[in-house]
Amino acid sequence: MKILTFLVLITITLLAGIGGTTAYVTPDSIVAAGNVYISNVTYDPGAFFTGDTGTVTFAVTNGNANQSIVANHATFGDKNFQLTSGTYDTSSNIGPLQTRPYVFSVASDANEGTYYPTFSLSFRDADSLYYSGMVRVDNTPLVVSVLSKPDSFTQAKKDTISVQVANPRKNEVKNVIVDVSGGDGVDLLPSTQYIGRVAAGTSILVNFSVTPNQETTLHLTLNYDNGDNHHSTDLQIPVTFTPDKKKANPVMSNIAVKTESGVTHITGDVTNAGLTVANAVTVTALAPAVPQDPYKSYVIGALKPDDFGSFEVTFSADNSTNIPIQLTFRDTDGNVITSTQNVTVPLFSSSTQDTGFPVLPVVAVVLVVAIFVGGWLVYLKRYKQ
Amino acid sequence: MKTSLPDLLINPNKFFQQALGDKEQLKYPGLIILLGAVVAAISGYFMGSLTAGMMESAMQGMGSFIVIIAVIAAFVMTFLVWIVWAGVFYLFSKVFKGTGSFNRCLEVVGYGYVPQIIGALVTVIAALEYLPRVAVPHLTSAVLENPQMIQDATTALMHDPAMLEFTQISAVISIVFLLWSANIWIFGIKQARNIPMRDAAICVGLPVILLILFQVYKLAGA
Repeated sequence: MKILTFLVLITITLLAGIGGTTAYVTPDSIVAAGNVYISNVTYDPGAFFTGDTGTVTFAVTNGNANQSIVANHATFGDKNFQLTSGTYDTSSNIGPLQTRPYVFSVASDANEGTYYPTFSLSFRDADSLYYSGMVRVDNTPLVVSVLSKPDSFTQAKKDTISVQVANPRKNEVKNVIVDVSGGDGVDLLPSTQYIGRVAAGTSILVNFSVTPNQETTLHLTLNYDNGDNHHSTDLQIPVTFTPDKKKANPVMSNIAVKTESGVTHITGDVTNAGLTVANAVTVTALAPAVPQDPYKSYVIGALKPDDFGSFEVTFSADNSTNIPIQLTFRDTDGNVITSTQNVTVPLFSSSTQDTGFPVLPVVAVVLVVAIFVGGWLVYLKRYKQ
Repeated sequence: MKTSLPDLLINPNKFFQQALGDKEQLKYPGLIILLGAVVAAISGYFMGSLTAGMMESAMQGMGSFIVIIAVIAAFVMTFLVWIVWAGVFYLFSKVFKGTGSFNRCLEVVGYGYVPQIIGALVTVIAALEYLPRVAVPHLTSAVLENPQMIQDATTALMHDPAMLEFTQISAVISIVFLLWSANIWIFGIKQARNIPMRDAAICVGLPVILLILFQVYKLAGA
């Protein structure tokens, strides 16, 4: 009986002892809780767009050198940032000098501004820890702008467009991709470029070539991720054909026409009145002219600006007075450019000239006649005598 | 009586005193005109070739025909001119009561044609030099349907520098040698029609000078 009573007392004493160490707030436990602090707060993304989702990580550090602490409950919340991942509702132990992260998934419903949502951690043996960390809601998108493009686009001529991708936000964005499209009427290279990360307050230059076959509008889309949230910015670049102010401009001049034995010879000069080189300049006569040897077509070659070259084309063209003369050249990109100039071909040779009054022959005839008549008058006078 | 070519050319009075017998003799004058007709035919060949060249594009195969026509025309025209000159002198001398026959006029004109044969030969030589340099306009079938264009083409041909030069040279040559012929004809007509020298000079000189004035007018107008 004494033994049974002893066992009951021991059991009660042990139970009472255990209960005393887990549930009771003591001055020591309060002091220990005071050494627990938030060592780091990380928002991903660093700045939210309105409507973005993300995570916030609180690093809780136990600053006690030889005492663990027990946390019963951890939560995070604000009316502008909705908690989407739930709270920490189970007890957890943080050892001496240990750090434990508490991660929460949140969604931002707030307008632009700076907010201070609160993190709270409840200790088993003490009161709670509260921490308000700053987070920004920034709806400023990435900026894409055209830095350089040709003054004018020319059909089938390759040109380069340079655009700048700038990040005016407070946080870095990632997976930045530039996507350009323009329909069937344009060749783009490259049409998609992966840039990667763009740090806050920095910019990146992106080049792509455009070869338009018809007038169109380029749609440039800048895709990027703010955290795990997809965003995009659009830019439209019209591609319209206007005269190229610097293009080569071969001009025919000093045209001379001569017809011999049914074959018309047109000679002249071609001068490059443009600002770029005209390559493989070729002159030929078009229908109704029928090109004839020796100059069915005439290749002048390359003409630098302000340079000129002579040409001669030969053809036959019955019953035609207006002959189109075609001038063909290649620009620096190899595009073939043609122009046509009508040349009036007289039905009869233009080598005739108006010599005016034939003074010498007439004077010669008058002189001879005068000598003849005078001679005979003298002769008759003498003959009569 | 003995006659000589130098006398005909240099001393026609002496020549005709010896050459003209009692009866008209057209054999030698006819041969002279025949020779002149041959030379004229050669000139006609050259001019016909130019015309054929103009028509080459529009009238294929007609070139030879045109040349033949030109040659025949030049040949026949020489004989016609012979007759016309004789007729003109005959009629003019009739005004001065000339008595000789028309055949006698033909005989005189035939002899007097020799300088013009020389002139024609010189002209042929000039033609050989100048005509190859003439740029001949080529008429098309469409042009042939337009009289204005044909005229323009002819004008273009005649105003070609080489053609102009040849025309002027040949005109001067023909006039000079026509005057030489006229000099011979005056002596011939005097004897053939039994008229005074002054009347013979008028009979020959007047139509010749008129013809020359016409040629000068054409030359100046060209």
